[in-house]
Amino acid sequence: MNEQELKKLWQTTNQKLEKTLAADRINSNEISQLKVYHFISSMKPIKLFTLFAGIIWVGLGAIFLSHKYLYAFSESNKFFLFSATVQVGLTAVALFVYLFQLITIYQVDITDTIFKTQKKLAQLKISTLWVTRVLFLQLPVWTTFWWNEAMFREWNVVQWLITGSLTLTFVFAAAWLFINIKFENRDKKWFRIIFDGKEWTPLMRSVELLEQLDEFVAEIKPETNAST
Amino acid sequence: MNQKEQREYFRDIIEQHKGILFKVARAYCLNEDDRQDLIQEMMIQIWQSINRFNNQIKISTWLYRISLNVAISFYRKNMARANKNTMLNEQTEQIPTDDKTEEDQQLNLLEHFISELKEFDKALMILYLEDKSHAEIAEILGMTVSNVGTKIGRIKDKIKTRFSQLKS
Repeated sequence: MNEQELKKLWQTTNQKLEKTLAADRINSNEISQLKVYHFISSMKPIKLFTLFAGIIWVGLGAIFLSHKYLYAFSESNKFFLFSATVQVGLTAVALFVYLFQLITIYQVDITDTIFKTQKKLAQLKISTLWVTRVLFLQLPVWTTFWWNEAMFREWNVVQWLITGSLTLTFVFAAAWLFINIKFENRDKKWFRIIFDGKEWTPLMRSVELLEQLDEFVAEIKPETNAST
Repeated sequence: MNQKEQREYFRDIIEQHKGILFKVARAYCLNEDDRQDLIQEMMIQIWQSINRFNNQIKISTWLYRISLNVAISFYRKNMARANKNTMLNEQTEQIPTDDKTEEDQQLNLLEHFISELKEFDKALMILYLEDKSHAEIAEILGMTVSNVGTKIGRIKDKIKTRFSQLKS
């Protein structure tokens, strides 16, 4: 099949499409009644629930902790206070980053060129990895919130070895994940294991899209260079 | 432009250029329900962006940008579901049957081969088949004119090979 035949064949879709797609199912009047297509309405219920649950968690945590700092600091367990502050603080940072990125994704200019828009969208989606990195940083404080001053007076070496190694392991894991969760490690097995699952599909598809863009550019380059 | 004029302008654009939306949607969605959703999403984005349209670019270029951007994002979102659906049901629908004309069969095959292409190759192929100039394709996709030619040549070869494999 030559070029002209291919194009001619494609042109026949015009008439066929207009017959097969019922025009009344696509109502331009209804769409033009839409005043604002809200960012919130574009979010899936599960994401909205996660976001609201996170806001409530951080909100209640902030109220509880500020009360402790202001009115009950001297009698509070400082280990608990420190751990809870780090946990709530990091959750707040993650929530802020997540929300900021979702809004930025929503505001990407859809009328810009395909490569520019898709690259920006994919990069923004991938940057949601930052949220996971920040959340993993919380790991060590989940092993310290129950610590107390009596432990330092009464515990023996074995008890400290067990507790200390658990905390150190979590510190190491948190730091390692924080450093290594990045786009460049997308092909590593551990990365695929962490980001396996439905909720990560859009992110992994964004990774694939960026790879496709790179391939697209790489395929063109050799010939372009050869011709120059 | 007041609200009423804007609505009329929007309706005119959709009426005159709905073929662009239909063709892009057909290339990116084999499933009929998904396709309807995709067209609706494209129309919402066109409606929302209509204030930002200026006459510096052709309306068709602007519409292709929106519909392809929406289609690629939508396609990405629905990839997992689409894969399942196309594995058995949809792909068998694309295989020519005896009660169709030869032209229908060829067209089904062409659409099927296009559906096998990657997102950006697909966009390029649609624009090429729509007889867009290399300059306009470059303006829609955001690549250089010379690269458009290089890339189209490769994709055309892929499609031709698929047709000849089928014949042999």
